[in-house]
Amino acid sequence: MNGFLYLLKFSYRNLFRVPKRTIIMILSLSLGCGFIIWDLNFANSGSREIMKDFLAQYAGNYHITHPEYYNATNKREFNHYKTMTDGDLKNNNLISKSTKRAIAPVFISGEKKTLGVLLTGLEVEKEKRLSTLYTAITVGAFLDKHGSKQIILGKKLAQRLDVQIGEEVAVIGQAIDGSVANDLFKVVGLLDFGGGDLEESLAFTQLHSAQELLSLPPERYHQRVSFDMDSEGLPLVKNSSVTSWTEILPEIAVSIKFIDNFTWIVSLIIVIVVSLGLSNTLMITFFEREAEFTSLNIIGAKTTWITASLMIEVFIMASIALIIGALLGFFATTLFHYYPINIEFFTGGKPIIMGGMTIKPLIKIYSVPQYYWQVPLMIYAFLILTMIYPLIRVIRRSKNAV
Amino acid sequence: MQFELSNVDKVYVSSEENKVFGAKNVNIKVLEGEFMALVGPSGSGKTTILNLIAGLILPTTGLLKHGGQDITSMSLEERTKHRLDYMGFVFQDYQLLPILTASENIEFPLQLKGFSKKEIKERVQWALVQVGLEGLGNRFPKQLSGGQQQRVSIARAIAGRPQIILADEPTANLDSKTAAEIIELFLKLNRDFKLTFIFSTHDQRLIDQVRTVLYVKDGQISESRVHNV
Repeated sequence: MNGFLYLLKFSYRNLFRVPKRTIIMILSLSLGCGFIIWDLNFANSGSREIMKDFLAQYAGNYHITHPEYYNATNKREFNHYKTMTDGDLKNNNLISKSTKRAIAPVFISGEKKTLGVLLTGLEVEKEKRLSTLYTAITVGAFLDKHGSKQIILGKKLAQRLDVQIGEEVAVIGQAIDGSVANDLFKVVGLLDFGGGDLEESLAFTQLHSAQELLSLPPERYHQRVSFDMDSEGLPLVKNSSVTSWTEILPEIAVSIKFIDNFTWIVSLIIVIVVSLGLSNTLMITFFEREAEFTSLNIIGAKTTWITASLMIEVFIMASIALIIGALLGFFATTLFHYYPINIEFFTGGKPIIMGGMTIKPLIKIYSVPQYYWQVPLMIYAFLILTMIYPLIRVIRRSKNAV
Repeated sequence: MQFELSNVDKVYVSSEENKVFGAKNVNIKVLEGEFMALVGPSGSGKTTILNLIAGLILPTTGLLKHGGQDITSMSLEERTKHRLDYMGFVFQDYQLLPILTASENIEFPLQLKGFSKKEIKERVQWALVQVGLEGLGNRFPKQLSGGQQQRVSIARAIAGRPQIILADEPTANLDSKTAAEIIELFLKLNRDFKLTFIFSTHDQRLIDQVRTVLYVKDGQISESRVHNV
C-alpha cells in the first residue's frame, strides 16, 4: 500500500515538472470534454425543442374519441378507437393539458374558388394554453373567445381563395344528421406555418360555431390531450396503448436520429483530434525524459514501475481535466438553458420549416445526465489508446538502458 | 570476494562484417572495501566494463559473478532488483529527479526497497549527515550547487547501505575544489564503512588517491597498478 501511495505521490509531482505544458494539456482535454458534453446536450435539446414545438402545433397531440361523439349508427366504424371519459382525463397524471375540439372535412368557398379543408372548432382560451397555434398568426388576430362564426385560415389557403382579413367565406359540409351544413364565416386571422402544405389545408373556428355548423350537440366533441414529453408510449387507460411520435412521424424521427448520430460522430472526431494532439505531447514529454527513465532503471526502478508511474501521471491529469471538463459542460449547458440559443443566426434569419410547420428558433439546452459519464469514459478509452505507443517506446528504452 | 569478471567479452554487432569489442577478455576481481578506478581515454571501454559490473548489459561470452551469484543467468527484472539490493550509483551529471527535494531523491531507492517510513527517515538523515548536507534536505536540485547535487547523488547511492558504489566520471563536471571534496568524501566512506568503490575517471587527483588502477584500452585491461595510499 505504501509503495502504491509513493507511486501516486511520485506521479502527481511529475505533473509539476513543466507546469505550463501540464496546464495546456489539462485545458485542451477539459475544453474538449466540456465542448462535447455541451454539443451533445445541444443536439439532444434541439431535437427535444423541435419536437416539443412540433407536437404543440399539430402532430403529437392525441385525439381520444369521446364515447358520446359518434352516434349509434356510426359506432361500429369507430370501435377500434380506444375511448376514455372526461373523468379518466382528470385522473390521469400523464396528461398535462386537454381541450375540446370538433373536427370535420368541409369545403370553403371564396371569391375565386372552393377548396376542401379540415375545419377544426377550438375552445379558444384552453387552446392557447395547450398549443402555440396562436403564435402562428402573422396577419389579423386569433379567434375571439366571445366571438362567433369567426375563421382563421392558412396564409396559402387565403391566397388561393383570394380572401382578405374581414371578408367572409362560405363553409359547406355534412352535418352529423346527414343534412347539408353551410354558413358564412368571417376571416379574422391568417396562419403562417412557413409555407408548408398545412397552410393550404387547415382552418379553425370557435368550438360552438363548429358544433352549430355540424349540428353537434354540446356534449359531442373530440378531447384533445397532450402529454409530458417523457410519457411517450405509456398506456393511458386499461387495455389501451399510446403510439409514439416516432411511429406517427417516422420521417421527423429519422431526421432527429440522424442529427443525434451525426453529433456523436463529430464528437468522436473531436476526441480523436484531441487525442492525437495529446499523444504527440505525451511522446515529446516521455522522450525528453528517456535519460531519466534510464537512470531510474539503473538505480533500481523496474520497467513496470516506471510504466505504472507514467500511466498514473496521465490518469491523474486526465481525471483533473475531465472533472473540469464535465463542470465546464454543465455550466455552459446551464447558461444556454437560461439564455437559449437563437438558431436563426445560423439560417440567416430564414424560418426553419419541418413537416410544414415553422419551428421556434430558440433552443433551450437541457442537461442529459448520462453524457457526464459517457463522454469522460470515451476520452479515457482514447487516452489509453493514445498512451500505448509512447509507453512501448519507454519500455523498449528502459530495457536497453545503456 | 565480491565481484568477478572472468574472460568477459562484449561484442557490439552493427553488421555481419562490423563487430566492435566493447570489452575484450576482461578479468577483474573486486574485493570487499576495494577502491578501484578504471582509467582510459574516451571510447576505451571504461563505461562498458562498469555497465557489465552493474548488470546493465550482459557479456557476449564470459562469466560475471557477484557473491557467488551468476548475474548472466538473471532476467532483466532480477538484475534490476540485484542492483537495487547491492549497488549504489553516482553519475557524472548527478541524475537527480528535479521534481523531488534532496531528501526525497535520497528516499527514492529506499521506497523502491520497501523500507518503513521510520527507517527511511533515519536513513535519509544519516546519508545527509555523511555527505555534509544537513539542513539542505528540503531544497530542490535546482536550488543546489553542482557539488551539492553530487553529494545528494552520493547520499542516494549510500542510503540503502549497498555493498558497492559504481561511479561514472563522478568529478568530471565539478571544479577542482569541489572535486577534491568529493574525492575526500569517497575515501571517507570507503574507510569508515568498508564500501567498495569502482569508478571510471580521467581525474589525476582521483587516480592518485586510488589503491587499484586499471588502465583500459580498446576494451582490454592493458595495465593494473596497486598504490599504497
